Amino acid sequence: MIPTRSSMEGRLVRLRAREPQDEAAFHVWFNDYAVTEFLAIRYPVSHLAERSMLDSEPALRHERAMFSVETLGDGVLIGNCELRVPGAENRCGNVGIAIGHTGYRDRGYGTDTMRTLSRFGFTMMNLHRIELTVDATNARARHVYRTVGFVEEGLLRDHRFISGAYRDTVVMSILRNEFQEDPL
Amino acid sequence: MTSIFEGTLIRLRAREPEDAPLLYQWFNDPEVTEHLAMRYPLSMKSEREFVESVSSPGYAHAGFAVETLAESRLIGGVDLINIRPECRCASLGIAIGDKSFWDGGYGTDTMRTACHFGFAMMNLHRIELEVYANNERARHVYEKVGFVLEGCRRQALYKYGRYQDVLVMSLLEGELRLDHRP
Amino acid sequence: MAPGPFEGELIRLRAHEPEDVDRAFTWLNDPEVRQFLGRQYPFSRKDVTERLLPAPSFASALFAIVRKEDGLLIGDCGLFGASPENRGASLGIQIGDKTCWEGGYGTDAMRVVCRFGFETMNLHRIDLHVLAWNERAIHVYEKVGFHREAVCRDAMFRFGKYYDILVMGLLRGELR
Repeated sequence: MIPTRSSMEGRLVRLRAREPQDEAAFHVWFNDYAVTEFLAIRYPVSHLAERSMLDSEPALRHERAMFSVETLGDGVLIGNCELRVPGAENRCGNVGIAIGHTGYRDRGYGTDTMRTLSRFGFTMMNLHRIELTVDATNARARHVYRTVGFVEEGLLRDHRFISGAYRDTVVMSILRNEFQEDPL
Repeated sequence: MTSIFEGTLIRLRAREPEDAPLLYQWFNDPEVTEHLAMRYPLSMKSEREFVESVSSPGYAHAGFAVETLAESRLIGGVDLINIRPECRCASLGIAIGDKSFWDGGYGTDTMRTACHFGFAMMNLHRIELEVYANNERARHVYEKVGFVLEGCRRQALYKYGRYQDVLVMSLLEGELRLDHRP
Repeated sequence: MAPGPFEGELIRLRAHEPEDVDRAFTWLNDPEVRQFLGRQYPFSRKDVTERLLPAPSFASALFAIVRKEDGLLIGDCGLFGASPENRGASLGIQIGDKTCWEGGYGTDAMRVVCRFGFETMNLHRIDLHVLAWNERAIHVYEKVGFHREAVCRDAMFRFGKYYDILVMGLLRGELR
C-alpha cells in the first residue's frame, strides 16, 4: 500500500520532530497563563530549563513520541503534542497537546492536530486506545476532542488545584475502531 | 587500477557531518521512508548525532555515503551491520534518498559495490537483508545482483495501519553477479 | 481458581533466583545441550547470572521452567526483542535437564510461554530461529502451531562447518 499522504500531515498541520531552536516559542507559550492554565505546568519556565530539556531529548520512540506542530502551508510553529505509552502491553497512548501560538486558536488547527496525532498513533504506532485528561472548565478543548471522536468516560472530582480553587478533570478516550480518518 | 569503493555509476565514501542536512531531508520524506523501518519523524539533532556515530566505517559498522561518480553528488547510503564475525554474516541496509536517482541503475550499482566490498575486504561469507513484500522494485534489484529469496516472515511489520509480510533474502560468497567487474 | 498465566500441565514458569545459577551454569556448558544453542563460547558464572537474573519485562522476558510435581528447575525460555509497533518478539527455549528431553515438558513450556506472549504481552507474532537439522525441536514447534517461514543458508558456523538456520513464525490465533 502506498501511503496516499504523509502519515504526519493533516489538512492544516504537519507533525515533525522537536528541535533545539523551537525553544524560543516554547518559552513564550509555557510562560503564558492562557496556555498553562489547562496544562500540568505551574511554575515559570526558564530559557535554561527549556533549552536543556530539548538538548537532551532522545529521538522519538514508542514509549514517548513528542512532536512540534507546524502549519502545512508556511511551516509556522504553532504548538506541540505528544503520545506517551507507559506500558507497551496495553497499547494505550496518553495525549498531551498545546496550541501555543495565539494567532492559531479557534481555527481548526487543534482539531486537525488531534486527528493527525491519533491517526499516527493508530496506524504507525499500533495503539489500541488513546486517552487524555482535560480540565472540566476547558469547554473549547472538550469540544475539539469530541469532534475527533473522543468519548467522555468519567470525572475526577477536585482533581487539580489551580488559581486558588480545585477543579474537576474529565477523562476521555477513543478506541481504534471508533477513529474515523479524515477523508480530506 | 579501479578503486574498491567505485562501481560504474557510484562511489562509496565515509559519511561526513556536512551530509546531515540532506539525510535529514530524505528521512523525513514519506516517499523515501515508505519501504524503510523508520516511522517516527527525525530531528536534525538526532540526524547529526547519527551521522557522527557512523562516520568512521569499520568492521563493527561498515556504513557508507553513496555519491555519483559523475559529479560527486550525495544520493544515498548503504550499511553492513549486525556482523557476527564467527559466522562471517552481515545485514545490509540501503537507501537511495535522492528520488531523481531512483531509476537508472544507481541502486543496483550501490548493491554490487557494497557487497563486493563486504566479500573482498571484510571477508564475509553471507550478506542478508529484509525487504517488505510489496517492494517489488527493490526485490528485483536484489535478485539481479544475485540475492536468493529464502522465505517470508508473515505479518512481521506494522505500518500504515496494517500488517505486512517481510521477505528474507541473502547472498553467499561467490553468488554476487558483477556485470561490471573483471 | 483458574490457572494463572504461568501454569502448564507439567511445568510452570517463574522468575529466576540466584540459587538457579549453579544448575543453569552446568547445563549451559554441557556439550550435549550446547549442540542446539547458537553460542560458540563457554559461559562464565557471571555470564549466567547476568543472563538469568534481570527482572522479566516487555523488552526481555526470560523465565525459569520448573517441573510442577517437584519444583525442579529443568530449563528456561523467554521472549526477547519485542517491538511495540510491530508487536513481534523472538522466542528462545532450552530444556537443560536431559532427563526431561522426553515426556512433553518442552511442548508444554512452549505453549505456556506463547500464551503468555499473546495474552499478557499482547503480541501479534512470535518467531524463533532453530538450526535446520534439529528435526526434533522443529517437530515440537510445528505441533504447537509454528510455520516454517525461511531457511537462512549458511547462517551459523560451528564445529568447522556452516549450518542453515530455519526461521519459524506463529501468529496470534495459531497457537494449538
